[in-house]
Amino acid sequence: MAERGGAATGHPGELHFSRVFEAPRELVFACMTDPEDLARFWGPAGVSAPRDRITVDARPGGVFETVMVNDADGSEYPTRAVYDEVRAPELLVWTESHSGMRVRSEFVALGPQRTEVRIHQTYVPKAFLAPEAQAGFLSSLDRFAAYLGGLVAR
Amino acid sequence: MTTQTADPLDAAFAALADPTRRAIVSRLARGDATVTELAAPFAMSLPGISKHLKVLERSGLISRRRDAQFRPCHLEATALDGALDWITTNRRVWDERFDKLDVLLADLQPARKRPRRARG
Repeated sequence: MAERGGAATGHPGELHFSRVFEAPRELVFACMTDPEDLARFWGPAGVSAPRDRITVDARPGGVFETVMVNDADGSEYPTRAVYDEVRAPELLVWTESHSGMRVRSEFVALGPQRTEVRIHQTYVPKAFLAPEAQAGFLSSLDRFAAYLGGLVAR
Repeated sequence: MTTQTADPLDAAFAALADPTRRAIVSRLARGDATVTELAAPFAMSLPGISKHLKVLERSGLISRRRDAQFRPCHLEATALDGALDWITTNRRVWDERFDKLDVLLADLQPARKRPRRARG
């Protein structure tokens, strides 16, 4: 059983996801850096991440490459990223080369068999670093989504 | 998927970073309006409002009819959908990934205490 959460953070332009897993931190961290494991979960529902197309060189400056393949139509979504920080078993930070998006994964031990993974995804820094954005409205993409959802629903 | 191009989103996010433009978008969510109508709640000149409308138009968030006399502004809900979709899709991808990781972790530690088996 895992708990899910998605509280908004106060940092500009971030998406925040968190999930609690019933497993030791070392194991959860290993799954996020072992291609054998990544192949089994990296693709969301209906999407595969073939083992032979995953590259993990988990050290600062090392590459993290995946290709997600849509099971229904075979369309492919390659992603190339470079690790900025690697601190086993507590922290992974990588930057996606094509989008500039930065993904920070923190692994927090809540107990010997319980680990929280916190994902902070920073998106479009240039838009969010505008002075107007700093004023608070765009303090998180979750709030932005809620705002847009409110407009669309009207 | 997470690979949707970011450019239109950049434009949408940047356009909505300004409070006046957000107020304009909120007003247009209730229906089309002319520049004069949009300017009314603001202590701002028509050229000032027009500048904001141009930014919104370039971002694809609003359109203006060329044929009508007062060129009413119209909110392009699909442009908002694009921004909204990107955010919700991202969340879904992580949720589904973590659902699978949950299953994998259960597989890897059947007795919950056994150390992880080494791989060749």
